[in-house]
Amino acid sequence: MSEPLHDPLADTTPPAAPAAVGAPRQAPAFASAAMRVFDLSLGQMLWSRRTIFLALIVGSPLALGVLFRVLEMFGMGGNIRVGGASAAGATIFGGMIWILYLRFIIPVLGVFYGTALIADEVDDKTITYLFVRPISRSAILVGKYLAYLVTTVFVVLPSVVLLYLLVVPLGQGSLAASFPALLKDLGLLGVGLAAYGALFALIGAQFKHPLVTGLVFAFGWEQLALVLPGYLRRLTIAYYLQALVPHSMPQEGLGSVLQALFREVPSPWVSLAWLFGCTIVSLALAGRIVERREYVLEQ
Amino acid sequence: MTAKTRYFLVGSVLVLVVGLSIGLVAYYGGMPQGLFSGQQGPEELKYIPGDAAVVAYANVQQVMGSQLRQHLRAFEGSTDEGRNEFREKTGIDIENDIDHVVACMNKKDASGQAGGMVIAKGRFGQAQSRLEALATEQGGTVEDYKGKRILLAPTKHPHEGDTHAEMAMAFLGPNLVALGGVAAVKRAIDGSSESTSVLGNAGMMKLVSGVDNASMWAVGRFDAISAGVKLPDEVAGQIPALTWFSASGHVNGGIQATVKAEAKNEESAKNLRDIIRGFTALAKMQAGSRPEMQKLMPDIQLTDDGSKVVEVSFAVTSDMLDALTAARHAAGALKKPEPKVEPKAEQK
Repeated sequence: MSEPLHDPLADTTPPAAPAAVGAPRQAPAFASAAMRVFDLSLGQMLWSRRTIFLALIVGSPLALGVLFRVLEMFGMGGNIRVGGASAAGATIFGGMIWILYLRFIIPVLGVFYGTALIADEVDDKTITYLFVRPISRSAILVGKYLAYLVTTVFVVLPSVVLLYLLVVPLGQGSLAASFPALLKDLGLLGVGLAAYGALFALIGAQFKHPLVTGLVFAFGWEQLALVLPGYLRRLTIAYYLQALVPHSMPQEGLGSVLQALFREVPSPWVSLAWLFGCTIVSLALAGRIVERREYVLEQ
Repeated sequence: MTAKTRYFLVGSVLVLVVGLSIGLVAYYGGMPQGLFSGQQGPEELKYIPGDAAVVAYANVQQVMGSQLRQHLRAFEGSTDEGRNEFREKTGIDIENDIDHVVACMNKKDASGQAGGMVIAKGRFGQAQSRLEALATEQGGTVEDYKGKRILLAPTKHPHEGDTHAEMAMAFLGPNLVALGGVAAVKRAIDGSSESTSVLGNAGMMKLVSGVDNASMWAVGRFDAISAGVKLPDEVAGQIPALTWFSASGHVNGGIQATVKAEAKNEESAKNLRDIIRGFTALAKMQAGSRPEMQKLMPDIQLTDDGSKVVEVSFAVTSDMLDALTAARHAAGALKKPEPKVEPKAEQK
């Protein structure tokens, strides 16, 4: 994963004056260290094999959007149906945001990237190179987390915008009427990526098999808790994210029907507060774990 | 950061900026029609005055040819008697000759009259001459106005002091007929530019664009409607303050309808949502104890995003209508239904 050709974490600033030569170099501050790790990790994340997976997963809704447009060009656009009725472009777009992005893409990206922030360095036995640097361990985590956020946000959000341009005009749909919803979608997807990423970074820092734990949380616990009556759903991220979605919940299965039946929606501000709180607390806990934990590399 | 990474980030930002700019331009009404989508609403909107309080549309072919109508006909046990009589008198077969209708209700004028107009597009053949003959037979008159012939219905004054608006009908084109108040029909003949028609009313067109794909829809300002309806003070006081509304329905085997209303503030919207939730819960409780009623309960969804817009959508499925018809059969209140007619292909 790491490229030992040059040392991007070293302080490469040339000495300001000859008098500084030989003076002890100071360790960079937390923010500066985090930004250096971010700079290093961003390139690694963007051009890794995982990016192919990211491109596939984000490209599939776009491929669907292109397919819908082609169908409409051949006069079959009216056959796209939601709930048995011909659906307008905005309805299809809303459904895709719900089903593809909110319920699948965002948690999956969170799991695959978030759990790998520390676990990949441990698996590749390269974490030692990072930890021997004179920087805070939590700065490494924060830098990698920021790289994850930029990588996913800069791939997912443009794909949503392209999907909006492709799908919303279907069936004489209006870009104008759906524009406020698009802005909300972009915002909530960004918040969702941040929250899931932070939570799975915590899982990645704590558990030995973080990917399995993350998948169980995202596609086991969250799905189950959302359809159960009571307070359990409040222990999920999806519960707060769903409260921010500007589109109607699609009725695509028993799970959705149950969810709609027991649906109790927190206000947007409460949801945002919980999501930000979850992000900050998860990152803080993950940072604390990384600072204190002794990672034993298997030989 | 490598150059490759930098290029990727710049490209990504460019896609975002361009996409959002297109959306923003469209939102503020500057997007040329047809660039990314077709014209918003039917073409006949150009005849609707810009200050119309309510605008409505119905795709007659889609509704008439739908399974929903067959279900309703079976449910009501209706016959074709009325339709046949109208066809014999006017030469117009409503079910086959009319494609769609656009209607509007205007704001009240100084005399307190709201007025309105219906524009129907279809295939009317020789109906004009038959209608003229029928109108004159009934005491109506025909006058020329800017090269078009207007049929004026006889004005009735059933009570002294009653000021009913005079009704008029005119063929705006070989396939287009307008029916409504004389002033409205004459305005339609005058021809409207985009700035004077409802096409130039950005607020109304934004509502139209949100419902444009539906089989039938109505949009308008709520205050224009509520001003014309006298409700008891106790009831009026309980209805949250609303500014505009839109209602749309997709007709097929059943109907999938969406009703949106914008309240004056978030508090009013919350009150309205609470009222709707209350009624929905009450209906579910009523149906809960009766399994046969559960089949008839439409699936009602209330969107709650904390904004001023309250959105309720519900679907009445074909199965529900079947259950309703069966229930009525069981009660013995219905004649044996006519054999089902195959629905026509939906027209766009």
